[in-house]
Amino acid sequence: MTPPDGSNCGGNEQRFWTHAQQLEKLPPCQAECPNSGDVRGWLGIIAQRQKHGLSLAQAYDRAWEELAQRNPFPATIGRICPHPCESRCTRSDKDGAVSINALERFLGDWGIDRELSLPRIEGPRNTESIGVIGSGPAGLSFAYQMARRGYTVTIYERQIQPGGMLRDVIPDYRLPRKVLDAEIERLFELGIAVIRGVELGKDITLAELRERHDILFLGLGAHGARQLGIPGESGPGVMAGINYLRRRKLGMNCGLGDHVVVIGGGNTAIDAARSARREGASVTVLYRRTRAEMPAAAHEVDDAIIEGVDFTFRSVPTSVLRKDAAVTGIEYHCKRAGETGEPMRMAADAIIVAISQEPDWQEPDLSSDGHKWLHTEEDGRLANDLWAGGDDRGPGIASRSVAQGRFAAEAAHAQLRGEPRPQPAPQPVGAGKVKVDYYEEQERGETRRRPRDEWLGQPDLEIDLTISSEQACQEAARCMSCGLCFDCHQCVMYCNAGGYSALEDTAPGRYFDLTLELCEGCGKCIELCPCGYLEAREESPPRMD
Amino acid sequence: MTSGDGLGALGSIVTEPGGGSQKTLTDGSRIAVIGAGPAGSFFSYFLLKMADTMALDLTVDVYEPRQFCERGPAGCNHCGGIVSESLVQRLATEGIALPDDVVQRGIESYTLHMDVGDVEIATPVEERRIAAIYRGNGPRNSEPLDTHSFDGYLQQLASQRGANLIRRMVTDVVDEGDRMRVQCVDGSSEVYELVALASGVNSRLEADVEERSRQFKRPERTKTFICEFKLGREVIRETLGPSMHVFLLDIPRLEFAALIPKGDYATLCLLGDDIDEALLDQFFDSPEVKNCFPGGEIPMHVCHCSPRINLSSAKPPFADRMVMIGDCGTTRLFKDGIGAAYRTAKAAARTAIFHGVSAEDFEAHYWPLCRKMDADNRIGKLVFGVGTLVQRSRFARRGVLRMTTLEQQQSTRQRRMSEVLWDLFSGSAPYREVLLRTLHPVYIKDLVWNLVAGNTGRADKPQDAVGSEGEKRHDTP
Repeated sequence: MTPPDGSNCGGNEQRFWTHAQQLEKLPPCQAECPNSGDVRGWLGIIAQRQKHGLSLAQAYDRAWEELAQRNPFPATIGRICPHPCESRCTRSDKDGAVSINALERFLGDWGIDRELSLPRIEGPRNTESIGVIGSGPAGLSFAYQMARRGYTVTIYERQIQPGGMLRDVIPDYRLPRKVLDAEIERLFELGIAVIRGVELGKDITLAELRERHDILFLGLGAHGARQLGIPGESGPGVMAGINYLRRRKLGMNCGLGDHVVVIGGGNTAIDAARSARREGASVTVLYRRTRAEMPAAAHEVDDAIIEGVDFTFRSVPTSVLRKDAAVTGIEYHCKRAGETGEPMRMAADAIIVAISQEPDWQEPDLSSDGHKWLHTEEDGRLANDLWAGGDDRGPGIASRSVAQGRFAAEAAHAQLRGEPRPQPAPQPVGAGKVKVDYYEEQERGETRRRPRDEWLGQPDLEIDLTISSEQACQEAARCMSCGLCFDCHQCVMYCNAGGYSALEDTAPGRYFDLTLELCEGCGKCIELCPCGYLEAREESPPRMD
Repeated sequence: MTSGDGLGALGSIVTEPGGGSQKTLTDGSRIAVIGAGPAGSFFSYFLLKMADTMALDLTVDVYEPRQFCERGPAGCNHCGGIVSESLVQRLATEGIALPDDVVQRGIESYTLHMDVGDVEIATPVEERRIAAIYRGNGPRNSEPLDTHSFDGYLQQLASQRGANLIRRMVTDVVDEGDRMRVQCVDGSSEVYELVALASGVNSRLEADVEERSRQFKRPERTKTFICEFKLGREVIRETLGPSMHVFLLDIPRLEFAALIPKGDYATLCLLGDDIDEALLDQFFDSPEVKNCFPGGEIPMHVCHCSPRINLSSAKPPFADRMVMIGDCGTTRLFKDGIGAAYRTAKAAARTAIFHGVSAEDFEAHYWPLCRKMDADNRIGKLVFGVGTLVQRSRFARRGVLRMTTLEQQQSTRQRRMSEVLWDLFSGSAPYREVLLRTLHPVYIKDLVWNLVAGNTGRADKPQDAVGSEGEKRHDTP
């Protein structure tokens, strides 16, 4: 049909007939997750379990498996991730973001308790040999994605224990060892060989490893601590944040003394400050900018304050004060308004410098060009046989390292098999396309925590606790399923033309068929669809006459 | 959605001889009302009101997933949005006074547009007014100013009476013998002693119920077309005035067309035999239609849809512990659906409170009303058929125009044609009454005379019928 008066519509036929289409969109949680985790997908399995005849346990099993497709350590990441996924959750506008991080942790623990095996990808065994240097989150993620695709994978790790920063640096009160052990062990069950105590550039060269493997992945991390470059910095009593955390994880006595000054504002600085509090020291964090500018996760800073860590902002250290070699304090410049500009002093028995990390590899082939960091293509490619990911490409959160390992593996696999590159993600859900008012209000379920007075008293015990199964169900049900059908039935129920029909064989996201020929173009379903899955087509469909 | 034994027992309406009902509502009984349109809300309201007079403590859950406070199709309940004056008055006697912010505009006259000329028919009795309303909260993209939903208002009345509004989509109603189970899309379900189905003819629920029942037949339906034009309050006052514009055009399959002013908007309603695109094209091309819009050009509408309306009733509109009210039970042909919702809802509530909730109770005390409406609808079909003949015949149109115009010019004269047209357009009177008036000898005599005079150009022809141009419109009569 033509519009009633052609002269009035200026060729803009769209306004007259609005035909619908079903189109999956990228939800904000997935868009914000560095690893592009299919949060909506695994939450949907739990929330919609009854529609698919799944028991709660079956739903958790499946959700875990879905989650583990992209992240082989959900219990670990579920504990330490600053969860950018929650930052733009559509629920934020209503009653608080879905507690995605707590749910990930819950499923991670579920997988460990149930001794679930990581999901392999069916297919023939691949004969190519894969080498991985470094067993941090990037290396392990790459190894996992290749091993589950049937490749033979060997990891080279310079330490005795695998895990990289996850094992060496992250304090026990955030990530218990047994959780990490369980998740790494499960990963090795895929048949990954680990050669321990071998360091690149010292024990073996890059050339040798490239000779030995068809594909070599570098997950070297950034274990070198940057220095302040101020007088008095070298010598006893001043140590780097990651070195301090490493020693503490090994149970070594660091002899910090009564007052410790931590310099820096990132997560390492906060971990170091809180760890030093656990040794009984009084702790002041000196940071050159303001609280709002701290790169550390806000909730970690909150917890540090609860534990009695002091903060002095807008302060730049100028020299370490010593008396007979022993540290007595720090001199710093204060940039706050009203300060005279005179250097200020703060007494300290030890100083922990946690300003930044950088790569520390010894392989001349990698550092010959003068770059500190590895510069790869977007998918991690350095050369056809050489790939990299993780902190050796620049500092980032663990989840980003897992992502880079995965993306590199997917691209390397596609290259080896001559398959097309992985599909790009769908378009994001447009602003305002999710009808927030449709969803019932339901307060965000907060993570349970141990009582505060126990935090420092039992310094190695985890502070956050895993949510209950009941909480997990409630929280999963809060997901609005932005951009993907969740079977709300509005389209099928209210289409005047009967254009929608319920599918016999349903799956999360697949519940209804739209017979376009029946569509009368009123656009009602699009406006009713709460999650933004239905949208207007550009072209008018053929009519059924 | 589960399938299977659904409403298989719907057919068991065999009347058992003797005695009072075996199935009655008692203290603590639970009732589910599915759909919170006018029928559902009226039913909840009257059920709780009557229960009060019997000191009966009932729980009434009203299931309605949509929010009528939303603008555009999401909150809309698709219809022309006319509450007839008889219903407005009856509601007032019930103590229900429609607030001003729900009534978009009091309609004070009808303007009849035909190719042979236009005529404005003033309201037959001075106080009679018709309320133009929005069922939802106004058309797509309307500004959140002073429109308020009619359905939302009724819903509020029901809540104030104590009904619980449950914002969940019902996907199935299962007869479990001594109770009914209502299943929702989220997998939850609840049991009730009575279910009132008030889901209209534009929801799929009744179709699903029919599919599973061998002996229940839902109403037959036909497609209509409704759209909204945004013209602005000023333009509407100048071009349309407080008048509902009815078009009697010789377009095949078109039974009825009306343009109803509402605040900044005008609602166009087309009824007929499967309104399709060809019919729409022809309609929008008619000069009579174009002349109702500023500059004679039809602007782009802001939203439209093709809701279905009843051609017949549900058969039967009840079962054990279940009653169909409003459109999904019985309604009046083409007109006064809200009035029918009120009547069926009240009759169903009365039956449930004072008689019982078995199929026999509804058959004895609820069905008679439905059958009476069905009988009147059959007369309505005939009347509309005659109307169509007039529409098709230029000869007849001239006669009607002449007779009505003369009536409107002479206040002393009894306005026989005007009243017939008024009742036909507004749905204010039963179709039977309309038919009887057209059979009155004086009416027939007048009509014949006007047919002759109208087609022979006699000298006493009416001075200047009301034109369609704005300047000829007089304000509130």
